[in-house]
Amino acid sequence: MKTKNKTSIPMPPNPMKWVSASLFTAASLFAATVNADTGKLLLTGGVSSISGAAGGGLTPWAVIGTNATQGELGVSAFATRAATPDYSLNVFGAAVAYNERFEMSLARQEFDASPAIALNGIAPFGITPGQRINMDVLGLKVRVAGDAVLDSDSFMPQIAVGLEHKNVSPGSLNSVFNFLGAKTSGTDVYVSATKLFLAQGLLLNGTLRYTNANQNGLLGFGSNAPGKDTHSLMPEVSIAYLLSKNLAIGAEYRFKPNNLLTLGQAAGLGDALAEDDWKDIFIAWAPAKNVSLTLAYVDLGRIVPGVTNNRGQTGFYLSAQLAF
Amino acid sequence: MQKTLSTFALFLCTVAAAPAWAQSPSASSILYQAFGEKAGLTQLVDDFHQRLLADPRMGPHFKPANANNIKEQLVDQFCAVTGGPCVYKGADMKSAHSNLDINKGDFNALVEVLQRAMDAKGIPFATQNKLLTRLAPMHRDIITVN
Repeated sequence: MKTKNKTSIPMPPNPMKWVSASLFTAASLFAATVNADTGKLLLTGGVSSISGAAGGGLTPWAVIGTNATQGELGVSAFATRAATPDYSLNVFGAAVAYNERFEMSLARQEFDASPAIALNGIAPFGITPGQRINMDVLGLKVRVAGDAVLDSDSFMPQIAVGLEHKNVSPGSLNSVFNFLGAKTSGTDVYVSATKLFLAQGLLLNGTLRYTNANQNGLLGFGSNAPGKDTHSLMPEVSIAYLLSKNLAIGAEYRFKPNNLLTLGQAAGLGDALAEDDWKDIFIAWAPAKNVSLTLAYVDLGRIVPGVTNNRGQTGFYLSAQLAF
Repeated sequence: MQKTLSTFALFLCTVAAAPAWAQSPSASSILYQAFGEKAGLTQLVDDFHQRLLADPRMGPHFKPANANNIKEQLVDQFCAVTGGPCVYKGADMKSAHSNLDINKGDFNALVEVLQRAMDAKGIPFATQNKLLTRLAPMHRDIITVN
């Protein structure tokens, strides 16, 4: 029996969030009903990075996510939380992948920027308590060559190119973004090479990212002079060692631009706006074919040290992923 | 007496030479030994083949094949690639699979079945990966669907 839908679906104000939530729901529904016949080997699709792209935790890899391989369509969904002494970050998102060739991901990052309220003491910025900075990331990735896992008789890595388009909503921190000259959207492009040295159980990844993001985009993109407003090439490296089929340990290092530092210095704030490289050590576990859990210890260096008594931001990171 | 002495000398040489040979096998025959040589590989392949037949994805590919043939060829192949004294006499991988529809998911499914068979034999993960390293490049000939 056909019934007319009398109520119109209200469109939320943020379409990216709506799309992201829909994709997450679709992925969950699909996951519940699909014949899980997709065929990657365990963990060879990586885990979900904070941008949503398949990779390590803090950096994308050349692997194409989900459990789908040649000729297959796959989906994945993830949730991640990282917490440091002064900040916390929640991320959730989803990805679809086809043919171990194309990957599209969406992620929403919710950054608790409460310490920023101290900036009200410097100027009348009007920052509200407990302010969050939300960022949506649309990711696209294409594998262009190689097979990270099966070409075990050559040094040829799997190579992929990708982009991450980011939109950030600073809320009451908009006044600070204006002061910094940081734009609220930006696009990173990157190339990644991933190689599994199967006989040694060792995976290496190198990513070169072209970006003008401040703190991954959570503090906007670019800077007023004399800060750096243009893109820079930033390397990111990961190493992972397979302890067993479903257990890997590893480490990552992500170089970051330091666009705002000189702006802060020129404004007489010293190193208040310094940004450091990101590092982590992680353990990833796949308790079942479609589930992976990642626990990491992250060192995010200084994040606006002017409002955090110059503290380094280290802490734990936990991520869960479902992939089909 | 002359003959006895020379036989004894030959025996001594053999005894002296044998341990030296055993202590310095090539890297690849170490892998062959890690899999328990021919006897170990035969046991592994017997179990692997049972698992292939029972696997919903692999069963249909393997049921029509002559079981003894395929097991013998798998043992010879594993023996040869691990550095054992065997010669694989079956068809090359490309012609052996050319009339089958095999995609990468099928190839990975077979790898998973082999991993489970090796797990069941208690073969350490690092040793498993050394065998898989030598088999994985065969994907170029075995996968027929692009």
